[in-house]
Amino acid sequence: MKNNKVLFLASFLLIIIVFVAGCSEESSGGDAESNTTQEITYASTSDVVGLSPIDTNDSVSSNATFQIYETLFIKDPETMEIQPLLAESYETPDDNTWEIKLKEDITFHDGTPFNAEAVKYTFEQIKDPERAAPRASLLAPIDTIEVKDEYTVVLKTKEPYGPMLSALSHTNAAIVSPTADKEGDINKEPVGTGPFTFVEWAEGAHVTLEKNEDYWREPAQLDKVTFKVVPESSTAISMLETGEVQFLDALPSDQLPRIESLNDVEVQKSEGTRVSYLGFNMEKEPFNELEFRQAIAYGVNQEAYVEQLNGLGIFNESIIGPKVFGYNEEASEATYSYDKEKAEQMIEENGYSGQSITLLAANRDNYMKMAEIVQSQLTEIGLDVQIETMEWGTFLDTTRKGNYEMTFLGWSNSTADGSELLYPNLHTDNINASNYSRYNNEEFDKLVEESRMSVDQDYRKEKLHEANLMAIEDAPWIVMEHGMVTAAYHTSVEGLIVDPTGSWSLYNVSRK
Amino acid sequence: MSADIALNENKTKPPKKEKYYVQTIRRVLKNKLAVFGIIIIFIQVILAIFAPLLVNYGPYVQDLSQTKLGIGAEGHFLGTDNYGRDMWSRLVYGARISLIVGLAAVGIGLIGGIALGLISGYYKKLDGIIMRIVDLLFAFPGILLAMLIIAMLGTSLVNVVIAISIWSIPGCARIVRGSVLSVKKQEYILAMKSVGASDIRIIFKHILPNCTAPIIVFATMRMATAILSTAALSFLGLGAQPPTPEWGAMIAAGQDFMWDAPHMSIIPGIAIMLTVFAFNVVGDGLRDALDPNMNLDM
Repeated sequence: MKNNKVLFLASFLLIIIVFVAGCSEESSGGDAESNTTQEITYASTSDVVGLSPIDTNDSVSSNATFQIYETLFIKDPETMEIQPLLAESYETPDDNTWEIKLKEDITFHDGTPFNAEAVKYTFEQIKDPERAAPRASLLAPIDTIEVKDEYTVVLKTKEPYGPMLSALSHTNAAIVSPTADKEGDINKEPVGTGPFTFVEWAEGAHVTLEKNEDYWREPAQLDKVTFKVVPESSTAISMLETGEVQFLDALPSDQLPRIESLNDVEVQKSEGTRVSYLGFNMEKEPFNELEFRQAIAYGVNQEAYVEQLNGLGIFNESIIGPKVFGYNEEASEATYSYDKEKAEQMIEENGYSGQSITLLAANRDNYMKMAEIVQSQLTEIGLDVQIETMEWGTFLDTTRKGNYEMTFLGWSNSTADGSELLYPNLHTDNINASNYSRYNNEEFDKLVEESRMSVDQDYRKEKLHEANLMAIEDAPWIVMEHGMVTAAYHTSVEGLIVDPTGSWSLYNVSRK
Repeated sequence: MSADIALNENKTKPPKKEKYYVQTIRRVLKNKLAVFGIIIIFIQVILAIFAPLLVNYGPYVQDLSQTKLGIGAEGHFLGTDNYGRDMWSRLVYGARISLIVGLAAVGIGLIGGIALGLISGYYKKLDGIIMRIVDLLFAFPGILLAMLIIAMLGTSLVNVVIAISIWSIPGCARIVRGSVLSVKKQEYILAMKSVGASDIRIIFKHILPNCTAPIIVFATMRMATAILSTAALSFLGLGAQPPTPEWGAMIAAGQDFMWDAPHMSIIPGIAIMLTVFAFNVVGDGLRDALDPNMNLDM
């Protein structure tokens, strides 16, 4: 018996010693990687879903497909201006017709020539209801796709479609090889026109690409690219430190100080198009009352929250963010800025004191952080707020059905166009789909429709601004922050630019 | 020899109850490890009861300008967490939650377990079916059973209590049944039956008091498991919901800050470790003291 106790105590001490030793273990190395082979390994927290731009729409898959396939148009990663890529030029003879001239002498990785037929084939596949492409909505306004000649394709819409070029530069509208898609599964063995060709996809482990020597421009400088799956972000950071991985993106704000303290690692931060918000379920009481939403809007101090993000967030209460088409500075001042006394007063006057609210939060770091801070702030103005957490999948299901009172969500705007933010998220058409707040306002709907159905960009911008102001005033959302796009990479990596939508191309990247 | 007397007194109807307990306590106090455990539990109880008097800040009060202060910071001697909440305050209120949840879970588990154990041990006809149900519950790994129950009921501390108490029932039922079976065969029970005492009277007045020793030991040990399981479930996000200062949830919250604020996880971690250790050694001590056979061997 005595022996047992000694053993017990000893193991107890051992646990403490191991634990303490584990905590104080100093980082070692950092510059282990000194080779200058033109290879790069990128780590992401989850595996790609697939490698076909038609059949996927998650950001991890997009990062990989963006290197293999190309779109007709592309946004300049710095200026966000739309430029032709596979297209040569375009004309709009009338508001409903887009005549696009394509570049000549481009072939897919499998030797299939790139031409108007390939574009027609790809777009028809995206629009095909049987294929059920997740981003079919991008091209939904296109009515017919005609091949005018080998290198000219004509897109006709029923109504003018303002965000056409944004849609055509979306990674999910990339052109695929018709031969490869007909004969095989491009979701497993992708074939595009891009600077990198597909080598291997070991599910759950990595995707490997190599340089396309026959690329239509100068070939890329990197010989080999690996997309590695590392589920734990802290593990990925350790791998960056030891040189096993050279590049990470979407850095977690809590880990930023650690990443920035690493030797030989550079951190890139720039303003992005993502918006995160506190959304109300407009079909529930008292969330359908403007005074109540206003009181909460006055009571939430987003600035205090953004300060906790180690610089990875922008405080701006406009729904359309500064990097999104349709933003006007006026909007950032038209909001219900933090005013605790006013919030308390409104709560008091309208008899909302002690109102109990369930604040639903997805079980993800950023949303949990918002939930804890907002809960504390709303408790201070006299509301009784309980947090309920849910796993991501269940959460999306629950919120889509409208079984919540108040929650946090975000929208990564990959077209960087305001119409693509307001239409899916707040237009009546999308209640039960992506309009989680179930916002229903005819006047607002009309403004959003006008912004979509015009090709006059100035007019669109004006309509988007009006719609933005209306939504800010109605407060179905309280904007928490506008996101930053981030990347951390080894100092030997050169030429990497992450654009405001969070996507990046490895075409111009090299290692020294 | 005193042990022998205690043994005899125990087996017959104990006339001098007090002496028996005094002796037990004396034997427990001889066990240094158990005394250490008792002191820790005592401190924890004091902290839990007088929590509001012992802290300068509420456990929910955020100060976003003073986040992640380390141990020994001015005004916050255990530092603050990532929302600038006082770690000491959260630790003390966490002790309250752990003890209440532990007591409630073990209490409910004991009621269910004792009832099933008594019925199953006393009435032979019901024994088979009750024990098969208990076996069924035993077949599940405990934490899995708790997770299953929580998945059905939803995440909250109340549901954690329910889950852990259900999980405590089979262990308790089996122990009580074993004691009942051995006590039932004693002559004095036969004597009671022959004079026509009712089953209820026999069970509650004569059998149950003679099963208390293993029940006390089981309950003490079970407290440790219950506290640990509450922490584990909260760590997994199935128990206490933020911002509740539950220890397991605090460890989970601190995970992301192991590099710049390790105290956020280490402090509640040590608290859980000490508490579980304390209940275990006290349980051990009690078992040694209450089990006369063990005592004779020593």
